[in-house]
Formats: sequence, structure tokens, C-alpha cells
Amino acid sequence: MIGNDLVDLKLAAKQSNWQRKGFLDKLFTPIEQEYILDSDNPFETVWLLWSMKESAYKAYLQTHKERFFAPKNLACHLTSKNKGTVLINNTLFFTESEIGEDFIYTMAFTKNRENNFLSNCFEFDQPDFETQHSQTYQKVLAVFAKKLKLEVAQLKIEKNVQGVPQLFQGEMLLDYSFSMTHHGQFGAFCIGA
Amino acid sequence: MEKDVLITALKKIVKPYIQDEEAFENLSENTDFIKDLKINSANLVDVILDVEDEFDIIVDNESMEKMLTVKAALKIIETKLSEK
Repeated sequence: MIGNDLVDLKLAAKQSNWQRKGFLDKLFTPIEQEYILDSDNPFETVWLLWSMKESAYKAYLQTHKERFFAPKNLACHLTSKNKGTVLINNTLFFTESEIGEDFIYTMAFTKNRENNFLSNCFEFDQPDFETQHSQTYQKVLAVFAKKLKLEVAQLKIEKNVQGVPQLFQGEMLLDYSFSMTHHGQFGAFCIGA
Repeated sequence: MEKDVLITALKKIVKPYIQDEEAFENLSENTDFIKDLKINSANLVDVILDVEDEFDIIVDNESMEKMLTVKAALKIIETKLSEK
């Protein structure tokens, strides 16, 4: 399974105040709070850990039925500046992040590094949510069409009840693990083997 | 507290975080914060902190876990208020 999450840092600074009373306590375990408070750049560490949690949760939901909002039950451990693990109810995910000036992008895998996956990060020219959403879908459909030697029109992406995206050829479900994310100016997708 | 009073208060709380105006206009008990209102999951914690401030209650981790819909939020607020 593969999951991803991207945080636009400029937008995150506007949308959330990580120093708000209760914010860290509700989202992060004591160990994670230590990572944040000991960091040279606490703001960046907040969003690194958050994108680790989100990407792992998105991979987790692909094989589990129940959605939940329990950020502290997604326990992060950093093994290097941009690599780590997230433990969700006895399932371990491995994460790899790209920490840039403008965004943090994290991918989560069930195995320690999937061998065959495709990932792409991009910047939008349109600021509105709807356009970004459909552009992200279109990019993923184009990749699948090429990979499967089909026309884009033969494929569609639909989210299931848990909100997990699924690929269909007509009405037939195709068994691919993939994940999409967009926030602010940036979007990304990753597709498992 | 009456249910429609609670819904009105909750609507005011979620307004700054929503990314789907139409779903917000049609907000009902069945509205999902993330799937329908497209609230960024990191902002869901702000909704919860605002709920705590507004109603002077504590939303514990177990309750927070279920707080994905208007219906669940109302139930949690009602329960916590009745325990006061």
C-alpha cells in the first residue's frame, strides 16, 4: 500500500496556528512533541510529522474499513531528517519526505521502500480548490491510461466510502494502490506497482 | 440546549475552515466535515478546540476519534454538556 500527503508551508502558516493552546496536545504524542520542541525549526517539524501521519493513514485506510480522527494513535518515529515510521494499530508504515522551502511532501509505504512506484509533485497555476482537485485527477488518469495502454476516457477514479480513491475501467475495479494530495499551490500523486 | 441552537453554533464554528460553500449552505446532521465540507484534516483540530472553548467542555481522545460528522459532534457536545 502507498499513501501520500503534501503540505504547502505558506498556506499552513495561514491556516493553522501550531502554537495555539491545545493544538500540539491534541495532535502529537509526547515523543513527537519532543521532536517539535527540540527542533531548530519547530514549524517545519510540526508539518513534517503531520504529513507522515496523513500519508500513513491514507495507506492504512486502503485495507481498513473504519475512518477515525485520532492523530495521536498514528505514532511517528523519525529515523533521519526525512525518513521515519508511523505505527497505526500494529501496522507499521515507512515514510520518506521531501522537505522544501515551499512544501513538505511525504510518501508512506507498507514495506521498507516499495521498489516500483511512481511519484510526481507539481505546482498549480490556478488557486481554486475545484480546479486543483480535477487537475490532480486528470494527471493520475493520464498516467494510468499510458501504463495500461488505454484511453483516458475509458478510465475513471472514484472514492469509496472511506474516501480511498479507486481506479475503474468502465465499471470494473482495477486493483491499484495510489494516493493523491493537494494543498495550496502544490499537488502530488503516487502510484504503487 | 435545543438541537437547532447547537447546529447554528456549530455552523458558526466550522465556517472559517470549510472549502465547499454549497455543502456548508446545505449543512445537516449527515454532513461529513472532511468529505462534504472539505475541511483540511489539520483544521479539524481547530474545530474541536473551538467547540471546547464555545461550550466549555473537554473533548477527550476517545470522543475526538469519532468527530467526523455533524451528527457525531452534536452527540459528543450533548453528552459532555449533560455531564457538567
